[in-house]
Amino acid sequence: MNENPMLPYLGKLVEVRDLASEIKLFRVELQDGGSEAFKSFQPGQFAFVSAFGLGEAPFGIANVNGRGPAIDFAVARLGSVTTGLHELGEGDIVGVRGPLGNWFPMKKFKGKNLVVLGGGIGGAPLRPVIQYVLDHRNDYGSLSILWAARHPSLLVFTDEYDEWRAAPDTNLHLTVDSPDEKWDHNVGLITQLLEKVSPSAENTITITCGPPIMIHFVTKMLQEKMGFPPKNNYVTLEARMHCGMGKCGRCNLGEKLICMDGPVFNMEEVGGLLETFL
Amino acid sequence: MSKSIAEKKHWLISQTELESWLDGIANARTLIAPRQVSGIMRFCQVEKSDEIAWHGKTQKTKLASRPVMSIKEIFFPPTERMFKIKKNRQEIHLEETYPDWETIVFGVRPCDARGVKLLDALFLDTNPVDSFFARRRGNTTLIGLACKDLGPTCFCTSVGGTPNDSHDMDIMLYEKDGDYVVEAVTEKGRFLILSGEWKETDLGSRQFNDKEHFPVPEKGRWPEHFNDEYWSRISERCLSCRACAYVCPTCRCFSVRDEIIKPGEFERIRCWDSCAGENYRRVAGGHKPRAEKSERLRNRFFCKFYYYPEQYGLGTSSACTGCGRCIDVCPAGVDITEVLMDLEKSA
Repeated sequence: MNENPMLPYLGKLVEVRDLASEIKLFRVELQDGGSEAFKSFQPGQFAFVSAFGLGEAPFGIANVNGRGPAIDFAVARLGSVTTGLHELGEGDIVGVRGPLGNWFPMKKFKGKNLVVLGGGIGGAPLRPVIQYVLDHRNDYGSLSILWAARHPSLLVFTDEYDEWRAAPDTNLHLTVDSPDEKWDHNVGLITQLLEKVSPSAENTITITCGPPIMIHFVTKMLQEKMGFPPKNNYVTLEARMHCGMGKCGRCNLGEKLICMDGPVFNMEEVGGLLETFL
Repeated sequence: MSKSIAEKKHWLISQTELESWLDGIANARTLIAPRQVSGIMRFCQVEKSDEIAWHGKTQKTKLASRPVMSIKEIFFPPTERMFKIKKNRQEIHLEETYPDWETIVFGVRPCDARGVKLLDALFLDTNPVDSFFARRRGNTTLIGLACKDLGPTCFCTSVGGTPNDSHDMDIMLYEKDGDYVVEAVTEKGRFLILSGEWKETDLGSRQFNDKEHFPVPEKGRWPEHFNDEYWSRISERCLSCRACAYVCPTCRCFSVRDEIIKPGEFERIRCWDSCAGENYRRVAGGHKPRAEKSERLRNRFFCKFYYYPEQYGLGTSSACTGCGRCIDVCPAGVDITEVLMDLEKSA
C-alpha cells in the first residue's frame, strides 16, 4: 500500500454505459499497483472513485471478483462528483481507492437458501452476491432475487435478468411503485412483493440493500411476520464517508463506524446499536 | 560527583535564559508559541521570543488562559493537502506532498498535549496510519508549561487531567518564583536542553490551585441517557454553528474534496468538519439520518464520552480534556460542564 492511504490508484474506464435513468455503469481497469491491491476483493466491499478535479465518493463494488480484470461501479447522478463521473467516457482516467470495509460472508452462507432484496441503486452492491452464487451454484440452495425500483426506467442490470433466470433453482421477482404501459410484472412496494413471495425462514439467509426506509420495513417484515431471526438478515448500509478508514468520523452509527465495522451487518448487530440507521 | 548528561533531568532557568533559549530555537527551526494576533491569542510561528504573549508583558493574557485554538491545528490543520492532481486531457498525474519541517511548540498546556495524545489513538494507532498526522507528530517537539491555576472555564481535573501533567510533553516547564524549572521528559526533548549552560536543580513542589470537581457520568452509564428528553431541551440553544468542534482539541471530523490551483492543476484537500452540520450525515438520495439538532448535539457528547473511547480503545477515559474552550466559544451558552452535571443528576 501507498504511504498515503488517501492516494488512489489510477484506472482507465474501459466501458461506460447507461444502466438505468441517470445511472451509469463504469467498468475500470486498474493501472500500476491497483490490480494487485484489488486482487482479493470480496462481495460487499466498497471503494472510493475519484472524478479528478471534483473529488471522490464511495461506491459498493458492483461485480464479483474473478469474472475478468475490471471492477464495476454503478453510479447514480446525484452530486458534483457523480455528475463529474457521468461526464467521463471510455478511455478517461479515474481514481480508485480500496477495497474497503467488510463483506458478505459467502462461505458461511454455503448450503443455505438465499433471498436477495434490492431497491433501486441499492441493487449494485448485491450484484456481486448474485454473481458469486451463480459462479458457485452448487454450493447454495435456492436463490430468490426480489428487485424493486420506483419506476421501470430505474431498474438496474436489466440486461442480466435472463442470465439470472436461467440459472438453476434461481428465480427473479420484479416490482415497481409506478409502472409504465409496457410493465407486466408486480406493482407495489418491495414489502408487498416479499409478502407475495413469502420465503421460508428455514435454512435461509436474506440480504437487503436499498434506501434506509426500505431496509427498515423489509427487515421488520422478515423478523415479525416471517419468523427470520435477526442474525439471518444481512444488510449493507451506507453513509457519506470521506475516508473509509475510520478517521473522518462521518459514518458513525452510534458506537460503530460503517466503514470499519461494516458496511455489511446482520440485523442482530444493528439492533444492538444505540442509533438507528433511519 | 557530577551526573552524566543522560541522568540529568531538571534545570533552573531565568526568564532571560528562557527567552534566549527560545530565540536560539526560533533561529534554527520553526518555533510556534502563543501569540497575540489582532487581539486574539493563538498558536502561531514566532521569529523572536518577545513576540510571545508572555504573562505580565501583555495585560490581556493571564497565566491560566490558553490560546483560543488548541494545538490540534499544528498536527491536523484546518485544511491539508492530501496530494496534487495534474490533469492534461486524458492524462492524470498525482503528486504526493508531505509536511516535512521540524517544529518546536512552546507554551503547550497539559490539556492540549493530552488532546494530541487522544488523537494518536485514531490517526496513529488505528490502521492505516495517517501519513500526514504521523509526519507532523514525528517532526514536532512539545515544550509544555504547567498551569498553576485552573482558568474560569477550565475543568481538566474533573476529567482525569492535571494542570502540571508532563506525560504527553517532550519538555515541561514549571514556574518557580519568577524562574522556571525545566524538565526533560523524552529523549527528543533532551536534544533541545542546554544542559551545559543551565543550572541543575530538583523538581521541587509542583503545586497548583485546584477548584471544585464535578462528577462526570462514567462511560458505561452513557447509553442509558441516549433517549433522554434532555437532549431536545438543551439543543434548543444550539445554533449548529460548529464552533465547539473547531476549538476542541479532540474533534477530528473532516471532509475531503478537490480544489483548483490553476487550470489543469488541482489539489485534494481535507478540511475540518463537524457532526453539528445539518448535511453532515446525508446519504445518497438525500435522506438525512440525524436530521434533528438534538440528535446532532447528542452525537457530539456521545462521541466525546462514549463513541470515541469505544471505537479507539480509550478504556474508561473520555475524549474530553477539560480545556473549556467550547464553553468560551459557544455563542448560545451550551456549557459542557452544565450538561455533564445535568446528566449526572438525572441518573
